[in-house]
Amino acid sequence: MYGLDAITANNGWHMAALGISIVFTGLILLSFTVAQLHNILRLFDNRDACCKKIRGLFKKNNNKQEVGNSDLTLPNNIKEAAGQCKLLIERIGEPFSLPRLIELSEKCGMSHPCSTINDLILAGFIVPDGKGYYVWNQDDQNRSGA
Amino acid sequence: MPVDINIIDSLNLFEDLSHAELEEIASLMRRIRVTEGEAITRQGDPAHTIFIILSGNFMVFFKEGRSYTLHNKGDIIGLSTVVIPFYYTGTAVALSDGVVLSMPGRELLRLIESNPVLSDKIMKKINQIVSARLPFVTGGC
Repeated sequence: MYGLDAITANNGWHMAALGISIVFTGLILLSFTVAQLHNILRLFDNRDACCKKIRGLFKKNNNKQEVGNSDLTLPNNIKEAAGQCKLLIERIGEPFSLPRLIELSEKCGMSHPCSTINDLILAGFIVPDGKGYYVWNQDDQNRSGA
Repeated sequence: MPVDINIIDSLNLFEDLSHAELEEIASLMRRIRVTEGEAITRQGDPAHTIFIILSGNFMVFFKEGRSYTLHNKGDIIGLSTVVIPFYYTGTAVALSDGVVLSMPGRELLRLIESNPVLSDKIMKKINQIVSARLPFVTGGC
C-alpha cells in the first residue's frame, strides 16, 4: 500500500491536522506574549506598587489609607516630572533656588516648566526651607518611588 | 470690565470696609487674565500697580535666587506701590494661568491718604504682610 491510501490507513491525516494545530497554537501563544511584552515589563518595573495594590485588596479596613498614601493617586505625568526634577535638583544641589530650577527645566526641554513645578509644590514634592530656597521632600519621594 | 463688589468684599485685605469704601475700591480695579510664565512685575521697575490674586499660582523671586510662592485668593503682589521703596523689589511670575485684580498704586495711595479710617484698616494689614515678606527681600531669613 502506497500514497494517499497508506496515509489514510495509518492516521496520517489526523496526525497532520494535530501537528498543524500544535504549531499554530504555539505561534498564537508566542505572538500574544510578544504583543503583551510591554505590559509585562511595566508590571515588572512597578512591582512594588502592584504588590501594595494587591496587599491593599486584602486589607479592607486600611484600604482608604493605603490608596491615599499610594503613588497610584498621582497622575503619571506628575510622577515623570518628579523624576526629571529630582535629577535636576541633584545636579544643582540642595537647598535650591526655585527660579533656577524653572530655568534649568526649560533648558532641558520640559513642557510647561512653571505649571509642572507648581504642581510639584502643591503635591508636596518641593517644599520651602523658610529661607527663600527649596528642598526636595524625601518623604514624598519615598512614597511615590520617584 | 467692572469688578463685582462681592469679590472685593471676600478679600482679606478689604474685609472690614464699608459698602461705600468697597464700591470706591471696586471702581479702581481691573480684572486681568495672566498666562503661565507671564511676568506681572519686574524687579527694579517703578511700582505703579498693585495686584490681588483671584486665581492661579505665582512665584515672586529676588536677587540671589530667593523666592516665595503664592497660591491663595486674596494674596497680594506689588506692595511696593504703597510702601517704600516704591519700586518692585521682586519679579512676579505666573506659575499657572490665573486671574488677578490690578489697581493703580497712585489711586490706592490717594484713597488711603484721603480717608484716615480706611488707611488704618488697610495699612495695618499691608504692614503685616510686608514684615512677613521682608526677610525674603533682604535675605535675612
